[in-house]
Amino acid sequence: MSIEEQIKEIVAKIVHVDKNLMTKESTFKDIKADSLDMVQALVAVEDKFDIEILDEEAQKFQTFGDFVDYVEKRLAEKEKA
Amino acid sequence: MSLKGKLALVTGSGRGIGRATALKLASQGADIVVNFFRRREAAEQTAKDIESLGVKAELIRANVGDPAKINEMFDVIENRFGHLDILVNNAASGVGRTVMDIDVKAWDWTMGINARAPLLCAQRAAKLMKGRHGKIVNISSLGSLFVLPTYAVVGVSKAALEALTRYLAIELTPQDICVNAVAASAVETEALKFYIKEGLIKDNRQATPAGRMIAPDDVARVVAFLCSEEAFMIRGQTIIVDGGTSIAPFIAAKEAQ
Repeated sequence: MSIEEQIKEIVAKIVHVDKNLMTKESTFKDIKADSLDMVQALVAVEDKFDIEILDEEAQKFQTFGDFVDYVEKRLAEKEKA
Repeated sequence: MSLKGKLALVTGSGRGIGRATALKLASQGADIVVNFFRRREAAEQTAKDIESLGVKAELIRANVGDPAKINEMFDVIENRFGHLDILVNNAASGVGRTVMDIDVKAWDWTMGINARAPLLCAQRAAKLMKGRHGKIVNISSLGSLFVLPTYAVVGVSKAALEALTRYLAIELTPQDICVNAVAASAVETEALKFYIKEGLIKDNRQATPAGRMIAPDDVARVVAFLCSEEAFMIRGQTIIVDGGTSIAPFIAAKEAQ
């Protein structure tokens, strides 16, 4: 499963939204994710991939795609290190 | 008050009150397990500062809102040290909502971290404190007694924590464990900056009757006292550290104008 698919599954489960309705262009407002959903999603993704997501960066996420891109970036950095 | 040779776990000790408490206990000779969750860098700094005091620091990442992670954390402590002398339940979280807006998720999240985690940590810690005159200190807040804007679920969780403190204090006496709590009003931490920025708390730092803002170290010193044998006969109490604010609300309000 791709990283995007894995994150989608995590977010969909937390927000109680059909993952098939989520695209990289979906905003968190579109899927009705509140701030607690966001924190829970960040925490779950951090645990899943063993990475850290900075709050300052997370606050900038507008779309689901922003989230996925950031996680992919962190994973690439982790691989390099 | 020497804590030389003792081992203390301080949950959420990367920042704020937890960090100040970890450093205070370390300065009295205790080795420290630094638990953190989301800010590794801050926790690494705390560990470094602890080690510079000549004692050991062990970093453990764990979300105390997740019972499985609490067990994993204690498994590490049990395997590595085999005992524990002091537990400070400091890690906390919360969702700023009015009572009408609290949903099941916000309730469970906040209660899970602020009330359930201290119980689960105390259960595991008590077993590691056998024959060691253990101490448990829970960090509460004045929101347990007083109504603050959008603080309902956190306030309720802290009230639960204070009640838990009383039950633990009595039921753990056969194991020779002292349990107490410390409740502070607004303490100068990153969490407070957030509350002020969000407009949840007024910036009334000049209004404390004691004449200055409460620093994390003010709380840490009281925690350290409760961890000492000097406090042996204090059981199940919540010590308020607020520079007099709660007993002089009208003075505080006047000064703030």
